[in-house]
Amino acid sequence: MVQDRLPDERIAVLSLQILIDRDKCMGSGNCVFWAPGIFDLGDDGISVVLDPAEGEERQMFLAQEGCPTRAISLWRDGVEVTSP
Amino acid sequence: MMSASLDETVGETVGETVGETASFDPFELQDTVTGDIRDPYPRMADLRRQSAVHFGNIDFTGSDDPEPSLVSEVPVPVSVFGHDEVVSVLRDDRTYSSTVYEGIMGVVMGPTILQMDAPRHKVQRALVSPAFRSRILERWETELVRSVVDDLIDAFAARGRADLVRELNFGFPVQVIARILGLPMVDYPKFQEWTIGLISVASNWDRAMAASEELRVYLTAVIEQRRRQPADDLISDLVVAEIEGERLSDEDILAFLRLLLPAGVETTYRATGNLLFGLLQHPEQLEALRNDRALFPQAFEESLRWEPPVTVILRKTLKDAVLGGVPIPANSDVGLFLGAANRDDRRYADPDTFDMFRQAQQHVGFGFGVHMCLGMHLARMEARVAVNAILDRLDDIRFDPDADDDPHIHGMAFRSPTSLPVCFSPR
Repeated sequence: MVQDRLPDERIAVLSLQILIDRDKCMGSGNCVFWAPGIFDLGDDGISVVLDPAEGEERQMFLAQEGCPTRAISLWRDGVEVTSP
Repeated sequence: MMSASLDETVGETVGETVGETASFDPFELQDTVTGDIRDPYPRMADLRRQSAVHFGNIDFTGSDDPEPSLVSEVPVPVSVFGHDEVVSVLRDDRTYSSTVYEGIMGVVMGPTILQMDAPRHKVQRALVSPAFRSRILERWETELVRSVVDDLIDAFAARGRADLVRELNFGFPVQVIARILGLPMVDYPKFQEWTIGLISVASNWDRAMAASEELRVYLTAVIEQRRRQPADDLISDLVVAEIEGERLSDEDILAFLRLLLPAGVETTYRATGNLLFGLLQHPEQLEALRNDRALFPQAFEESLRWEPPVTVILRKTLKDAVLGGVPIPANSDVGLFLGAANRDDRRYADPDTFDMFRQAQQHVGFGFGVHMCLGMHLARMEARVAVNAILDRLDDIRFDPDADDDPHIHGMAFRSPTSLPVCFSPR
């Protein structure tokens, strides 16, 4: 999950919170392809969030949109957001 | 379907010494399903602008056909051309069932995950999917895939010209699959011949059924052997795979292995061809990729958007549905035109142009939803290794101006180049 103790220039990224629905995740690995620094697959094949500070919003939206089972959602200030 | 004598013949093929590699001519696969259609996209775009959903059979060969209907109250074939509508269908597997494939691919390959719905699909897919994760695939990349590609290029590198469709694109995924399965090299020619037979199903039913039966006998022996003595290969992985007490039966594994041939060979061969065609047609993009290989992912994804190797997939409505505002009755066969969805101008600017520099966007070239291509990471790796080898080894590669054929992408359900005649500076 996203932390709020990182440098200022990353605020735009970090204000997005990533949620993964483990029941919906099928382990396709598409999120890892579109946003390699942000997602990985755990040993159980289910997606996990790595260090989102390395990423960009654009990649996060690509991963969200590219999830074949809609297991990834992005939230800003408690509201779910989709690709602008 | 099979005679006893043929059964006996195929029973001896394991370990048999075989001669030359079966020759392959891609025109063997051209048929009524694939069709010699050069560019179906203008008509698809016209239809999509009228409505994302149409009813009745659509003929893409003739221009005088009546326009397909926009409504139907009884189950007739449905065609979906819009991107968002295709994605909606693929994400709603409770309404749009994959069991439609039972009577098509299922007859040739057996009960594969392609034709299963939840909950069985989820369990079966989870059992086979670990072997196809990108991290697992890394072990195949250098020793296996690169060496297969290099061997094939060795055969023509000194000549200065080649047809990449016939001399590289087909042989390479067949051999990659054979090696991932851990088959002895002596069996490759036979395996390639069966592969061609199996994927010719639409044009030659008897040949496909014969190949399917020969593969059953051959692979059953391999599965039994791996149960006794596991090795470092995919079949051994499948034999021991277990999730929450569930394991794959021999029948499950056999069906899956037969599915791998059309799913893992034909698609990769066609997709690699389409990428190479796009690059050769746009030398400035080829040059950019040559100079910066980190651009490969966006180049391949763009080729999959622009010309997906499989352009249509099927579902069947289990209940009445509404799609893009259009009511669809239960029990309708629904054709999802992935190629049309990938060129939906409501989503992609200038959709008919191959442009690897366009802003990255999701596409449905690998399908979507719970059945999204299991082998997508393998396909991405295979295509990357092949294109990198071409760029590393064949300097100044370009379409051969002296070739007398007229290379073009064609087909309907499956699309790929007729040929890729190239010349280059031999080393």
